[in-house]
Amino acid sequence: MVRRFLTTAAVVGLVLQPVGHAAARASWAEMPESYQPEDDLERGLWLQMDEYERGLKSSRTVIHDEALNAYVRSVLCKTVGEAECAPIRLYVTHTPHFNASMAPNGIMQIWSGLLLRTQNEAQLAAVLGHEFAHFEDRHSVKLFRDAKSKSNAASWLAFTGIGLIASIGLLGSIFKFSRDQERLADKGGLQMMARAGYDTREAAVLWEQILDEGDATRVGRGKKVKKRSTKSGLFASHPASAERVAYLREQSLEQPGTPHQNGADAFKVAMRAWWPVFLDDQLKMNDDGASEFLLDSMAKANGWTPWLNYGRAELQRRKGTPADLELAVRYYSEAIADGGDLPELWRGRGLALRKLDRDGEAAGDLRRYLMQAPDAADHAMITMILGGIE
Amino acid sequence: MNKFIGASAAAALFFSAATPALAGWKLIDNGEPVKVAKSAMVVTPGEDWNRWSVRPVKKSEIWTLDGINLNEMYFVSGLKKGETLYKDANKKAQPLPKFDGSMDLTEVPEFMESSIRLALNTSAFTTTNVAPTTLGGHQAVRFEYEYSIDGSPLLRKGMAVGSIVNGELHMISYTAPATYFYDRDLAKAERIMASVRF
Repeated sequence: MVRRFLTTAAVVGLVLQPVGHAAARASWAEMPESYQPEDDLERGLWLQMDEYERGLKSSRTVIHDEALNAYVRSVLCKTVGEAECAPIRLYVTHTPHFNASMAPNGIMQIWSGLLLRTQNEAQLAAVLGHEFAHFEDRHSVKLFRDAKSKSNAASWLAFTGIGLIASIGLLGSIFKFSRDQERLADKGGLQMMARAGYDTREAAVLWEQILDEGDATRVGRGKKVKKRSTKSGLFASHPASAERVAYLREQSLEQPGTPHQNGADAFKVAMRAWWPVFLDDQLKMNDDGASEFLLDSMAKANGWTPWLNYGRAELQRRKGTPADLELAVRYYSEAIADGGDLPELWRGRGLALRKLDRDGEAAGDLRRYLMQAPDAADHAMITMILGGIE
Repeated sequence: MNKFIGASAAAALFFSAATPALAGWKLIDNGEPVKVAKSAMVVTPGEDWNRWSVRPVKKSEIWTLDGINLNEMYFVSGLKKGETLYKDANKKAQPLPKFDGSMDLTEVPEFMESSIRLALNTSAFTTTNVAPTTLGGHQAVRFEYEYSIDGSPLLRKGMAVGSIVNGELHMISYTAPATYFYDRDLAKAERIMASVRF
């Protein structure tokens, strides 16, 4: 069983399958609770997916927080419908990339990196609706059958249950969704958003942000930004991205949903406790370009809160040049001035000041950190450093 | 791209496409001082260990008692500015952080945490008990950590000691499943770390 992760640029839809032709969507009423396997091969696949789910249930990366799970489920049910969402088993996993997936047996996985990147409920609904549309159209099953007829026995064996869920990106052309299939799921997602009363423009906004973040990553690593075309080339690796923004924007004109209803406030409340955690995960990804981009876009929506200032201060401190350290000190100070009371603010500023040879100020900050966080994981280490500069 | 083979989280840090098909093992005798990680670092183990022929980075070395999934010592010595702690197997999409000699000791745990999070693609990682110590007579930082990989119920615990001497990182880490193995072999690992001479 070989798993590969999908990169940040991984497309939400990668995990699900396309319909071979633009068939009318199967209505929910025609489907049993969820699609049932039809032959031995599929039954084998189902067993593997069930096994995968058993693993997922005991996985330490699954976030069990009741409030968070209840909130994501409420958005799912509001978007796809109460009856439709009932059989879906939802798992929020602690994984720092932008991705969501849904398997044909009804397992839906939302990665925490997605929740850091969606800025309001409507954007989350866009992703959930997209995934559900793939599921409802039985895209995975079609892909599975399609692969069966196309590939040889050896590659077929590699196509295990877990492969069906997470490895589609790596298996390349045979298993990729076609553009039509992605488009269909996007369209389905948009319909659901509109029906649920969200502003459908948010779908295009989300995808645009993801593209911009990818650019920021490349710039941060000294690479060239890829040229965007709304008409994707035959061999483009992510053909749907720029094109997707364009047609989602067009479609949202036809199907606006409820303008300005994006559920930003409810989303903010639900994410309050988790943003700092997910942001911390992101800062440890060694992807400064994307981290700065995310911090900036979160600040655009919320202003520079002490948390966001702490985030960008930590980022600058880890970069480590004198200019970065000066900036870090400034951001820590802003966070403190704005009422931030996290002890790590003084720790970070103290360590940055110490590297700038401003020992006197550093000592004051580190002393305050030790006082405020007597149980800190690095209490002993900071005590030693303080001893060295006092 | 990293490959994750079954639940072998520890192994995944070290496997890559370039791993030789025939990895070999060599017995390290107890009580004998032995050079590690192709460097000036010398340690004296209190019991027999097995050295793996696979080296994730040039100046590194892996030892185990029962297999690296059960107990693993990772030695890195003389890591220079710009080098990574593990093999930078997914350099394009998800490059590992690079060491910088200007780091101070408080940044060594951060450097390792970020490296493991990226190499194993997990966010379930916590660092605890960061404290001063010495390594081969040099000022060092000792810290503990625990992590799990995506889809696995297994919690791994680890303990590491790192020191920066003349802008180069020397580090030894010990990682094992939190259940049974970590506690069983911790004292052996600590003894090896305490035996370091340069």
